[in-house]
Amino acid sequence: MMTNKLFSQAKIGKYFSVCILLSVCLLAKAQEASLMVIGNSKGVPAEMKMSELRSVFMAEKQRWGDGTKVIIAMIKSTTPLGKMVSRRIYSMSGDEVRGFWAGISFAGKFESPVTFNTVTELETFVAQNPGAIAILDKPSESSETKIVLIDGKKTF
Amino acid sequence: MVVKRKVASYLAAIISLLFLSISSMGQRTQIRGFIDGLTTLQNGKVSFGFGEQDLFITSELNDRISFLGESVFKYTPSSPTEFSVSIERVVIKYNFAGNHNLLIGKHHTPLNYWNDTYHHGRVFFPTIDRPLLFAANIIPLHTTGVGVQGHDLGKIKFGYDMMVGNGLGSNEVSDNDKNKSISLAVHIKPVEKLRLGISYYYDVIAKGADVHDRIINWQVNQQLISGSVAYFGKKFEFLAESTIGLNKTDTTGSKQTIASYIYAGYRITEKIIPYVRYDDLQYQDGEIYFIKDNTTSFVGGIRFQINYLAAVKVEYQHMHAEIAGNVDKFTAQFAIGF
Repeated sequence: MMTNKLFSQAKIGKYFSVCILLSVCLLAKAQEASLMVIGNSKGVPAEMKMSELRSVFMAEKQRWGDGTKVIIAMIKSTTPLGKMVSRRIYSMSGDEVRGFWAGISFAGKFESPVTFNTVTELETFVAQNPGAIAILDKPSESSETKIVLIDGKKTF
Repeated sequence: MVVKRKVASYLAAIISLLFLSISSMGQRTQIRGFIDGLTTLQNGKVSFGFGEQDLFITSELNDRISFLGESVFKYTPSSPTEFSVSIERVVIKYNFAGNHNLLIGKHHTPLNYWNDTYHHGRVFFPTIDRPLLFAANIIPLHTTGVGVQGHDLGKIKFGYDMMVGNGLGSNEVSDNDKNKSISLAVHIKPVEKLRLGISYYYDVIAKGADVHDRIINWQVNQQLISGSVAYFGKKFEFLAESTIGLNKTDTTGSKQTIASYIYAGYRITEKIIPYVRYDDLQYQDGEIYFIKDNTTSFVGGIRFQINYLAAVKVEYQHMHAEIAGNVDKFTAQFAIGF
């Protein structure tokens, strides 16, 4: 009787641990999912497909539809947000993303992104530069930038 | 007096740095450098050395005009100081519409993937040295002229390069004859990480022209037709390029050279990539413009990608050449960007 009770307690403990682990994973996944795109009011479209966003960040587009130059602004790839952007947009590590841009800019194909240490600096830059686009992990506090919908959603 | 001179030179250096940083802020100017240290083991002898020191400048002047400059400081035995400075690239780019650019200056001739993708800094090379196709001067590495370029157009990400240049035998400031070189190249990227390209080059090399420190005693009509396949995925890397060179002179007629290489690498971990490369140069009998030296070469090595600006490569090469015979060589290279 006593052994059965202990056994069921151990079982419950096991299930509980699995539930906690699953919750942590889901939470981490949910946290990863909350990226959003901001753009300057000039040039950057109000809505893009994910494939278009990737194409822009892979240096495949020099100008927006209205002719404004595409300026890619990025948080440094050594920061947690930078690492997330590297993984989600480029499917690369932060170091690989830096290598990707170094290769492209030194081949003379495209200018490197403008990089920043903080989200505030990034937002200010996007607000001040026509054609600038950036990826954040929280809603923008700046009223001078616009949110770009990706596949019809504010976050992805 | 010496102290005064020292102070003056320090002041000049500080003022230059200040000026540089101010102008950089306005124009987004980046200055980077590349260098590599080498150790080779050949014929039982170990040698130490270093490669070209590459100084790289990129600058955005406004939203349409940008500049790229690449200067190399390298060992040159014929120079009184045993070193020389060479301007490898000076490119003024004007973005006239969308992904279409006008390019003016001295360029890497956009004929092949390797020549179009890598610069003189060795840290980005997948192997220690360039393939023999480039080392044997079959491809004209540089062209001074004007061109238009487009990239990532449409669903297949079509790209093109069209360039008119001074051609072989010319110097950096004037053409040695009335003929112009023509470079035409197109490529597509049908799926991610894959690039397929073909190109055509035409030039008339004048009689008496000095090409690669050799006087050409005949007029040569040259055509180069190249094809390339490049795939650099997360795990697997593959690059193959082949060029057919047709050199025609009045006395020899048209002679054909086929130069190819194939490279493959596999990323075992994020930082370790073993690789192999096979090179093959085959010249037709009677070739008089290229130095006829039928060569095959096998390279096997391993690349340790410490980070994106530092790589160590260790490589073994076995080469069989018509002129030099068999060559076996071990090389270790530490390449960095700074």
